Amino acid sequence: MVRTRPLTPYLFIAPLVGLLVFIFGYPLARVFDFSTRRIRGFDGPSVGFANFEALFADPVFWLAVRHNLQLLLAIIPLLLLSLLLAIALYERLGGWRIFRTIVFLPYILAIPIVAVVLRNMFQLNGPINTVLRSVGLEGLALDWLGDADIALWTVMAMIIWRESAFGVVLFLSRLLSLNEELAESAQLDGANWWQRTLYIVIPQLRGVIEFYLVLSLITLLAAVFSYVYIVPGRGGPGNATMILELYIYNWAFDKRLPGMGAAVSVVLFLVTIVFMVLMFRLRRQAAAEEVG
Amino acid sequence: MNPKKLSRRSFLQAAGALGMGAGLARAVPAFGSPFLQNTTLRWWWWADEPGFSAWIDDVAARFAAQHSGTSVETLQMDVSAVITQFTTAAAAGEPPDVQFLWNGLYHMENVWLGYLDPLNDYLPADVLRDSNATAMSIYEGKQYRVGWYPVPLLFEYNKDVWDQAGLDADNPPATWDAWMGACEALKTAGFVPFGGGASDGYWGEWYLTLMLTQALNNGGEGIDLFIGERDFREPRYWEFWAKLEEMVKAGYLNNDILSVDLFSAVNKVLTGELATTLNVGAVLPAHIAQIGDRVGMMIAPVYSDGAMGGKPISDTQGFGIPSGSRNKELAAELLALTQSPESLDAMWSLTRYFPANKTWDPSPIDDPTLRQLYDGWVGAETTLWLSVLMPTMFWTDAMFVAAQEILAGRMTAEQAGEQHASIVQQWRMLNDDLIPNYQVFAASIAAESL
Repeated sequence: MVRTRPLTPYLFIAPLVGLLVFIFGYPLARVFDFSTRRIRGFDGPSVGFANFEALFADPVFWLAVRHNLQLLLAIIPLLLLSLLLAIALYERLGGWRIFRTIVFLPYILAIPIVAVVLRNMFQLNGPINTVLRSVGLEGLALDWLGDADIALWTVMAMIIWRESAFGVVLFLSRLLSLNEELAESAQLDGANWWQRTLYIVIPQLRGVIEFYLVLSLITLLAAVFSYVYIVPGRGGPGNATMILELYIYNWAFDKRLPGMGAAVSVVLFLVTIVFMVLMFRLRRQAAAEEVG
Repeated sequence: MNPKKLSRRSFLQAAGALGMGAGLARAVPAFGSPFLQNTTLRWWWWADEPGFSAWIDDVAARFAAQHSGTSVETLQMDVSAVITQFTTAAAAGEPPDVQFLWNGLYHMENVWLGYLDPLNDYLPADVLRDSNATAMSIYEGKQYRVGWYPVPLLFEYNKDVWDQAGLDADNPPATWDAWMGACEALKTAGFVPFGGGASDGYWGEWYLTLMLTQALNNGGEGIDLFIGERDFREPRYWEFWAKLEEMVKAGYLNNDILSVDLFSAVNKVLTGELATTLNVGAVLPAHIAQIGDRVGMMIAPVYSDGAMGGKPISDTQGFGIPSGSRNKELAAELLALTQSPESLDAMWSLTRYFPANKTWDPSPIDDPTLRQLYDGWVGAETTLWLSVLMPTMFWTDAMFVAAQEILAGRMTAEQAGEQHASIVQQWRMLNDDLIPNYQVFAASIAAESL
């Protein structure tokens, strides 16, 4: 057997680790640094925690937090819709190839393109309301984007529609790699389709479901900027669709106070980390209980 | 070489050769530069009307033809990135050589950051003066932009619609009461009297510019208001929102104003879906091309007693030279070329719109409606475009929010005044280092009595 020195493996991975630290670590350190400064251009004097104080005193910040939390409600429908569609495609129901394309299509298109199209469709006098009115559903022809009470729910529906496509891809690829013998033997034992799906198929998707949940959490907390910027327009009407990403963008670019933008980013980063740690801890706990 | 038999040694040799090639490619121009003298001038621009690219291309081509070994690389910017893209590039030390700049604070904040050079060192005083960049491009006696084209801001209306409502389309209302009377007549005749698209925020900015201006005696007062030296809670400073509230309550605005964007809605005036909207002069040639002299133009109806009220509003788009440019002399020559008689004439012949330069002879304007626009909003005594003196934080947090909330009936004008005062105080707290600059700028604008 060839014996290696204990440090040798670390030397091999050192260049990559160095690269990763440079790519992710340096910007992160700069963001933390910026958050304690009044940045003009690329630098500025230290202001201690003044940016954080101003942030926590700003009602729009708390509104954005509330909206992000509201968007997290989309996780459940995202998961259920993705699972349902993936299983339906897996079962190869009639026309499944066409449906597969239809389901995947929104995810292939860039978010700004999808957002612009949807913005036009959901206008008060746009195609969706025109159809609703023409079939006598005048009462459902709402001001989807212009009404502050509805706009965030409209955005959420758009996010669910587009982002579920990725879940479908993910779940379908896992489904296609499942050992079918288990399901077949359950069928021989008399298990019906629902029983096989609930007790045989879905439990085997557990790992990928957990992965998708974490990914959706990150998406809904930190990757929905394009939707709210383009669809209702700049987080409007008023601040009805203001979310943390847009709030960061406004501070960093529009209001020219990157230090404030960095302070929000630090808060968002820490909150996301806390969420993820909690999720991984729950997962470990559940795994331990299963073994026990 | 058979790819199937590519050995590790061959692969490393090929990679090494490629690396050396790449290194040499970078090194050669450095050795050869005294002989080649190739310079690329980078010109970043934006325009209210995308068709103005024809003029940009023309100037760039003529400049390159006049300067052998020099090429001009143009980049058309997105409206949402005009300021941010330049500021970021300037901060990173990689700005273009010539940059499009909006007037007022939109470029002055970059001046204070040291990202723009004064043009007085590069261009003769008469060229700077005649370019008509306005006093909002001057700080402590130094000018930072040359003018490109004028941007009148006005009420545009469809004369056919006004005729059908029994109004005198050639004599639009000048006072608020007369305006409300016209709106009522339009509504009674079955038209949507007034409106546009406010989802992206620019309609609110235009409305504020046209209306708040009337409560002020000069632009310096405007800056004072935006930076908290005056109080937005005083009724005269939120009365313009009360006028919007009045129109909303009377049902004079289009019901989809909050779900459509500015430029989608602007065209509704052509079809008569909107009787009147807000618009900028640079878009009007396209409208005139479609409905000819049925395009009506009017100054905002007067409701207040400020000295700026009742005057046509016009601004100027322009260009400047970033401090980080490595080709400032050439950039200045390009700016000089934009002000040459050939370029001024080319602006008209290529775009059917006029240059801002005061020396340009408007006699080629062969369309009476365009001539009315020129005489009324460019050749006449005008007042400034107030929103370019508004800190961007006021734009995003105060104006944008208040305009949409008032249009939705969720905020009163008085509440908007309170909200503005609160945002202004927040701005002061976070930008106290900039306040002295704003004060100097306000004083110089006030001195110009604009």
